[in-house]
Amino acid sequence: MTIRPSPAFQRLARRNRRVVAAILFTFALSSALTVGLSIRSTTRSEDKAAVVEIAGRQRTLAERYVEQVLLAREGVQADPEVIARNLRASAKALLDGGTAPAVAGDDDDTKLTAEHGAVARSQLEQEILLADDLTATGAALLHHRPVTSVKLTAGEHPPATDPLRRLRVLAALESNMALNATRTIANSTDRNISDLIVLQAGLGIGGLLLSLLLAWALIATTRRQTAQFRSVVQASSDLVLAFGSDGCRYASPSVTRLTGRDEADLLGSGVFAAVHDDDRAQAHAASQVGEPPELVFRLRDRSGAWRSIEAHVSDLRQDRQVRGIVFNARDITERLELEAQLTRQAFHDSLTGLPNRALFRDRLDHALTRSLRSVEPLTVMLIDLDGFKQVNDSLGHDAGDQLLQEVARRFSSSVRASDTVARFGGDEFAVLLEGADERQTIVTADRLLENLREPIGVAGRELVLTASIGVVTRASASDTGETLIRDADIAMYAAKEAGRARHEVFHDEMARELGELLGIEHELRVGLERGEFSLHYQPMVDLGSDRVIGVEALLRWSSPTRGDVPPARFIPVAESTGLIVELGAFVLREGCRQAALWRADGALGEVVTWINVSPRQLVPGGFGALVQEALAETGIPPSALGLEITESAIVEPGSAGEQARRELEELHALGVRIAIDDFGTGFSSLGQLRHFPIDMIKVDRSFVQGSERDAKDATITSNLISLAHALNVVAVAEGIESNGQLDSLRQFGCDGAQGFLFSRPAPAAEIYKVLLDPVVERGSAEAVA
Amino acid sequence: MTPLVRHVSFLRAAAGAAAVASLLAGCGSNQPHASARTQVTVREKDFRILVAPARIAAGRVQLVVRNAGPADHELIVVRAHRADLPLRTDGLTVNEDALEPATVATLEPAGPGAVRRVNVTLAPGSYELFCNMAGHFMGGMRAFLVVT
Repeated sequence: MTIRPSPAFQRLARRNRRVVAAILFTFALSSALTVGLSIRSTTRSEDKAAVVEIAGRQRTLAERYVEQVLLAREGVQADPEVIARNLRASAKALLDGGTAPAVAGDDDDTKLTAEHGAVARSQLEQEILLADDLTATGAALLHHRPVTSVKLTAGEHPPATDPLRRLRVLAALESNMALNATRTIANSTDRNISDLIVLQAGLGIGGLLLSLLLAWALIATTRRQTAQFRSVVQASSDLVLAFGSDGCRYASPSVTRLTGRDEADLLGSGVFAAVHDDDRAQAHAASQVGEPPELVFRLRDRSGAWRSIEAHVSDLRQDRQVRGIVFNARDITERLELEAQLTRQAFHDSLTGLPNRALFRDRLDHALTRSLRSVEPLTVMLIDLDGFKQVNDSLGHDAGDQLLQEVARRFSSSVRASDTVARFGGDEFAVLLEGADERQTIVTADRLLENLREPIGVAGRELVLTASIGVVTRASASDTGETLIRDADIAMYAAKEAGRARHEVFHDEMARELGELLGIEHELRVGLERGEFSLHYQPMVDLGSDRVIGVEALLRWSSPTRGDVPPARFIPVAESTGLIVELGAFVLREGCRQAALWRADGALGEVVTWINVSPRQLVPGGFGALVQEALAETGIPPSALGLEITESAIVEPGSAGEQARRELEELHALGVRIAIDDFGTGFSSLGQLRHFPIDMIKVDRSFVQGSERDAKDATITSNLISLAHALNVVAVAEGIESNGQLDSLRQFGCDGAQGFLFSRPAPAAEIYKVLLDPVVERGSAEAVA
Repeated sequence: MTPLVRHVSFLRAAAGAAAVASLLAGCGSNQPHASARTQVTVREKDFRILVAPARIAAGRVQLVVRNAGPADHELIVVRAHRADLPLRTDGLTVNEDALEPATVATLEPAGPGAVRRVNVTLAPGSYELFCNMAGHFMGGMRAFLVVT
């Protein structure tokens, strides 16, 4: 970039050029006029000189005429007529212009201009008359006629008695008239010339004054503009430095303000003392050679902090007004900081401030390169928080965010400063360790888990989170970052599969297992099409009457390649892939169809068929319509159908949860029964449960099974049952396996139970028999459990 | 060209010393007693002099001399002792030197359009006014003023 004059300055320059042109024009005009007038006055004075000469000559001619007449009268050879002609012709030429004839060879014909002066003209006219009178009288005398016979025309009254005297008087009058006219013409010429001189002087002085005025205006304007320009420069925050071969010659006040140094301290080499050591040589070079055109250097400000200065360097050594190199500079410290901040945002997670996936990948790639050189081991860990989704679902995103921030802090404090903790998104974190062997890596992974164990206070609760950590360590990285992260992911999945709250180190076998897992999804889809799914039913028994009050439909998968696959193995896959929606629809239709068959046989009576509903089925909306469709198709009354939903399904925030709740409420209003499944494991709020129309609570098997031996579990179970009663709903215990558990539940006042103690889940045909004899024999299953 | 009064008045023959002193004072101051002066218009032209009025009472007189042109004209005022004024040897112009004792006023030549005033105190007698430029007197430029 070069320095260009600002538009205002260009205007000034243009105006100045115009003013200079006006000055020159004024000079030229006045000079031209003066010279023109000089030429004119000189020409005129030359003309007048000729006029005066001819006018003067008339006197001589008049006198010579008299002389010639007298000579002729005396008989001497003379030619008065020629003189008479010359006298008259000259007089006419003097008046109206023309040629005054040469007289007797002593001069040439003279061209005359007409006379314009009024007085001179009247005198010349009079002279003509007198010349006529003179020559007429002379002619009369020569021809011996009486002179008094000549009629005089000029108002004169010469003596009548003496003809010669009369002739001489007329000659004297003519001569005097010529002299008179000559004097008048000469005087008027003098006046004209002096007038011209005055005019010339006036023009000259006027032109000079005008030029001086314009020049003064130019100087004043330039001064003002320069002052303005200067004030702009001085008030500007832009830093202007001008350098000559002897160093800094000018530093704008903004430089003084920034550096806190006096201008005197900055001049010469002083300014470079404030420049950073590393930048000084380049800045100095630029100030001497005018290159590079742009330059960034650091300058120490008055507080001692380094400011980044971006300078545009202009080589104006050829500019006569500068003769130096100019830095037009700006403080770009804030801009650079902003850029750094933007970079940080691009590579950091805004919630936790941890590096994001992109930065992690970048560091990982660099670490891999270093690892190749140093042959040091490299570790990548992927961390997934267990059950975080439930926290988020039940406590809301704000609580989830707080939780993630605290987790991020704990993870960061669990590793060395040189290690990298990143957040990949959601509840997924990653750790990069350099130079840690497998043993040290395990120690670190343990520490990560251990630090998480301390409860975290969020939304008025103390939550304990666990995490599943996948670890991959390479002694010497021959892998890509991509591979390392993928392997860590597999290991993390393995940790989840192995029961969560643990870390697993990647080994090759895992990859194979993962491949199998991924295969399940495909087979699930295919199996759904091929009818490999079926329902088993488990009765629900009223603890007061020992009668069957309901059956829970449970999905079974008989894979031709895998055999019977337990729900725990494929339900999570179906949940995570969304296949659960189709599976759920299958369960609903099949359950209703079976219920209709039983009812047609009269086997079912008041027994309710319970269907499990995943939250994933409720969120998209339209579930209510699906249920009503199934009811209509099978013709069973709504009250014969029960829906088991999890706590999280009804506390889902936002409009999706709102819609799910509304649809369930509508179904309930129709008579469809609703139960809360796995009650006690979620984070549902009592308030929400209270306002939601439910008929039954199913106490989770983990409490039921512990209630026999564990006092804490027993208390919880008891409280859950009391809570159900407080909500005026039925409490049913799940997973009951022993008589001891049954006794406890009876003691707690539990309304119903379901479990191996009464019956395993069984195909519809087997359950049919149970339903026909609704009083359940127990004890037969105990041996099995 | 300002009118120039070369001679004002020398009335050696008729006026006493006291009268001369008073005249000089009057003329020198160039302003007083204007109301008491008799004004005489003298019109000069080629080649005549017209005086109006041609007869006036003696005393202080102001001559208003106007040149109607076209030539330049002068004006000389002399007491007329004899019928004719003396001429110079050229036979064409008046011998002013010879007339000096009788000269009352002399106005130098002036161009056409010039108006000049000259104050004189005139004793009773005949006065001749003429232009003495070459041929003018002889050409007809002479007139008389009678003072009684």
